[in-house]
Formats: sequence, structure tokens, C-alpha cells
Amino acid sequence: MNEELGMRNEEWKIGGKTLSSRLLIGSALYPSPANMEDAIKTSGSQIVTVALRRQAAGEGGGNQFWDIIKSMGIEVLPNTAGSHSAKEAITTAQMAREVFGTNWVKLEVIGDQYNLQPDPFETVKAAEILIKEGFEVFPYTTDDLVVAKRLADVGCKILMPWGSPIGSGRGLMNPSNLTAIRKQFPDLQLIVDAGIGKPSDATQAMELGYDGVLLNSAIALAQDPVKMANAFRYAIDAGRLGYESGTMQEREFASPSTPTVGTPFWHQFA
Amino acid sequence: MIKVSVNGELKELNEDLNIKEMIVELGYKKEGFAVAVNTTFIAIKTYEDTIIKEGDTIDILAPVQGG
Repeated sequence: MNEELGMRNEEWKIGGKTLSSRLLIGSALYPSPANMEDAIKTSGSQIVTVALRRQAAGEGGGNQFWDIIKSMGIEVLPNTAGSHSAKEAITTAQMAREVFGTNWVKLEVIGDQYNLQPDPFETVKAAEILIKEGFEVFPYTTDDLVVAKRLADVGCKILMPWGSPIGSGRGLMNPSNLTAIRKQFPDLQLIVDAGIGKPSDATQAMELGYDGVLLNSAIALAQDPVKMANAFRYAIDAGRLGYESGTMQEREFASPSTPTVGTPFWHQFA
Repeated sequence: MIKVSVNGELKELNEDLNIKEMIVELGYKKEGFAVAVNTTFIAIKTYEDTIIKEGDTIDILAPVQGG
């Protein structure tokens, strides 16, 4: 890749915004707020996920974390993490819109505590209501094609199927399912959200034709989060360029790349 | 006095307080959070029209890190 040749960071659009980075990054689990800021900047990401939690009296109308995020001038994507029903998610989204001043919401309704698998029924129900209320919904979902269809049916322009369970770092469990969603919804923005562990996982997602990758733990829990943020920046660019370039067809058998004509000391195989 | 739940803790408040007055009485500042009463979002513009009642469950949420 060569920035001088203009091969990186081509612009794309999501949720009404024009961006250059295809990495959506989480803001949790970093060793310190300063490390979080350095990692986000190094990643080149222009979308950072945030959340809402109970605030004790006397903590005031701000905090170090939020002050840092605001000062960075990037888009915030509030999540509804912790919601277990459409009602809870909708209320959280409404509160987030007021606090963060954005109509974007990462819709996350958990249906199973063991693997934090999203509840498809409540997610679709909440998505339909939130879209009618003017939200730009980024729904976190499984890699189930029918759930993706239901979300598209209620008006979602963005889908965020998981790679594997949140925080697992297992990468893409079902690339063929993700490919099927990509093929069925060529006009929707597709983001792989959750389960990314290594930069190569993000590259793989981008090579499948996904528009972006959302991750948090893979960077924040690395031994050096800032260096890992840089690795993911390159990984996502590499995957996207690979996708746009058109990969070669796989072949069943070997095929020599060096010309065979004029090979010296030729021996005919028996 | 009435008893309510604020962020999961039992609190006693004066009767007939609206949300704006409750926030002052609880010691919160004026901004940087959002309020829900009985899991229903209460927009800032309706704070003065919403009266806290005995047994209400109030959540006051502020920005934190998230994935």
C-alpha cells in the first residue's frame, strides 16, 4: 500500500456521513483514558462507540472520558448494551440521543447471557420503532440471513452481524453465512461487529466485501493497544483493497507461476 | 416525604417535586445526563411537567466507555 499513490482511505458513506476510515472502534477496556485516546487516534477510526450508565450524584455534568471523546471531534455511536428487551433498548437509545446529540444508535438487545447472543425478535421490534422515531439504527445481530432480512424489512440501512461472541476474539466463526448476507444485501452497509481477535480477522471480513469492522477488545486488551490499533488500521485497508482488486479464482490443482517454456534440463514426467 | 428508587438506591424526597426540582434536591448538576422514570425516557423539555410519585423508579444515566 502506498499513500502517495492514493491507494488508502478512499471515502465511503454511512449513516449520512462521509468517512475515510472503515474501522469503528470501541472506547472500553483500555489501560487508561490516555491510552484509549492514543489508540483511537492511531487507529484512524472516525467512529467510536460509547455507552450510558448510572451516574452518582455529585459527579457533575461531565467526566474525563466524555471530555476526551468530545475533544477528538469524531462521530460517536452510542450503544444500548445491557438491554434485554426492546423497551429497555428504546429507552436507552432515547436517553443517548439527548446526551450525545446524535440520532445514531448501536442497537444491542441481548438474548442470552452465556454468549451475549443478540435477541433477534426484540432487536427487530426495537429497530422498527427506533427507525420510525428518526434514529439511524446500527443493529448488532447474528449472522442469520433471515434475521438480516427482517431487519432490512423494517428499514435498517446498516446491519452489523457478529463475527463471533462479544469479547471472544475467535474471529469469523461462519464466513459463509457472512458471505450470504453480503450477497443478499449488496446495497446495505454491512459491518462485522464483535468477536474480532487478530488483525487478520478484520482483513478477512473486509475481503468478504464488508463495508467496515467494529471492534474493541482486540485493540484494548492487546499488550500494546496503540501498536495494535495501527495494525488494525493497516489490516482493514489491506482487506478492503484486496476486495476491490478482485481475488483470483481458487484452483483444485497446482499451476506453475514461472513459465515452463524454455525450462532447462527438462524431464518428462512418467 | 415519599420513597423512590434512584439508580437502584432507596431515597426519600419531598412530595410533589418535578424532575428539575428532584435533580437539584439529589445534588446533580444541570446537564450531562439523561433521566428515565419507570423505564420511560423523560426529555429535558418535560422535566417541569413530570411529577415524582411514591414508588417511582428513577434512572439517571451519563456517558461511559462502551464497545
